[in-house]
Amino acid sequence: MSASIQTPSQVYVPFRAGLPPLIGYWKILWSRKTFIVEYSRSELRDKHFDSFFGQLWLILNPLLLSAVYFLLVVIIRGSSDSARYVHLTATLFLFYLISNSLTGGVKAVTGGQRLILNTAFPRIMLPISAVVIALFRFLPTIFVFLLIRTILGVPFSWQMFWAIPVLLIAIILSLGLAITISCINVYFRDIASFLPYLTRTILYLSPVLYESTSLSPKMLKFEILNPLFPILDSWSRVLVLGQAPETSSMLIALAWAVVIFLLGSYIFLSREREFAVRL
Amino acid sequence: MPSVSNSIKASEVAVSVRGLGLTYTTSIERRPTIKARAKSLGRGTKHTRVIQALDNVNLDVEYGQVLGVIGSNGAGKSSMMRVIAGIIPPTRGRIEVFGSVSTLLALGVGFNPSMSGRDNVLLGGLAAGMTRDQIEDRFEEIADFSELGDAIDAPMRTYSSGMYSRLAFSVAATVRPDILIVDEALSTGDAKFKEKSLNRIKELRSDDRALIIVSHAMATLREICNDIAWLDKGVLVQRGEPNATIDAYQDFLQVKRSAASDEDV
Repeated sequence: MSASIQTPSQVYVPFRAGLPPLIGYWKILWSRKTFIVEYSRSELRDKHFDSFFGQLWLILNPLLLSAVYFLLVVIIRGSSDSARYVHLTATLFLFYLISNSLTGGVKAVTGGQRLILNTAFPRIMLPISAVVIALFRFLPTIFVFLLIRTILGVPFSWQMFWAIPVLLIAIILSLGLAITISCINVYFRDIASFLPYLTRTILYLSPVLYESTSLSPKMLKFEILNPLFPILDSWSRVLVLGQAPETSSMLIALAWAVVIFLLGSYIFLSREREFAVRL
Repeated sequence: MPSVSNSIKASEVAVSVRGLGLTYTTSIERRPTIKARAKSLGRGTKHTRVIQALDNVNLDVEYGQVLGVIGSNGAGKSSMMRVIAGIIPPTRGRIEVFGSVSTLLALGVGFNPSMSGRDNVLLGGLAAGMTRDQIEDRFEEIADFSELGDAIDAPMRTYSSGMYSRLAFSVAATVRPDILIVDEALSTGDAKFKEKSLNRIKELRSDDRALIIVSHAMATLREICNDIAWLDKGVLVQRGEPNATIDAYQDFLQVKRSAASDEDV
């Protein structure tokens, strides 16, 4: 009787190129947030970050990295001081949040092949999980940094709370980069092998091993092309010098992050329905 | 058997497939790379090919039906299941689904081999839109049915293919959606588990559920299905009464109904 007036719970029709209905997509994505949390948690557990030595490694690894890079700076410059070390650790730790999002994101979609082939879900959950994992690994390093800062006697100031908006911008940028690169890797699988060179180049182009003030004005002009530059510069200004960030850097950083996030999401969302046949 | 469906009566349409066509572009290389793309550009060869997986398929599945889908490898059986489950969008046509589909096709479980079976079941279920409570409520039943014992907490890379499909089938059979799609999961596992999963399928047959079973195990399909769809090269060749359709399919394959061909492969 009611068969004719029964409404289907799902209708699948051909899609035209472009975005899916965004509000519906967001609702489904939000309803699956437990997956993102649970996936990140089990990935971290898989790498033994739930054990004591695993967590110790989370702290030891960035410390060793900063020590190695500090050695490099000392050798190249011939001299160094504690302020430079504080700058190095602050920016290096944040740089690793972004770079870990990239390295985690690149395999996010291709690694989820089995799930993508057999389950209908918003594919963007996979690169988002990669950023959540990078964020979980970043959080302990904040405390390490604050400890180093205290030991070396760098004064604290209220302006340091500017770190929160800077971190938010860094997270938006990380999301944008992870989403973009996870999608590119579906079509060009060798991107993953180029990635170490890419992150290394970005590291040297960013004010991590040096302060932005030591750059020549000519170089500084080009740095507007580096999305990480204003973020790391503001981060150092806020956390090392305890000053408010420059409005212009914050705006450039925000613009870069939002543009990369929107562009990456657009590419991803308009392509994701094709992933199942591309894997 | 308790049912999660709400007041769906027999002989109502569960899935309606109208004029379904599926064409997709995929790369010729198994691993598409920039290198391969540059090479094919230099030689002027194509780097992608277009695959016509399904062509103008019309298919209605009603509640109470147990539909077996048969056909040679590459006939488009799995593609059709993925379209019905909403994993791949159709190129042409319209698919209407009335009720909850097991969007978790059997092999969705175990996407991360380094995690335990337990974690994989949880993650697969969460990705498919179940809540954590729903999964945890059923977890005991899944673990019991799969008979994996302590192995449920071992990483899935240590599983044999039989253990793997046992877990996959257990998840699919325990979730109890209105429309259950079982893709090739019946033909794996040892004789004892095969028997057990066959019995579970029989239990799941009810007037308010539609079952779609993709399998090469003709004897099994003759036993449990009340309808068979035969696909060949993306086209629905025949649809109807199990014995007649399977006979026609086997004649087509020019395989005599010997014991060997009727056995589960």
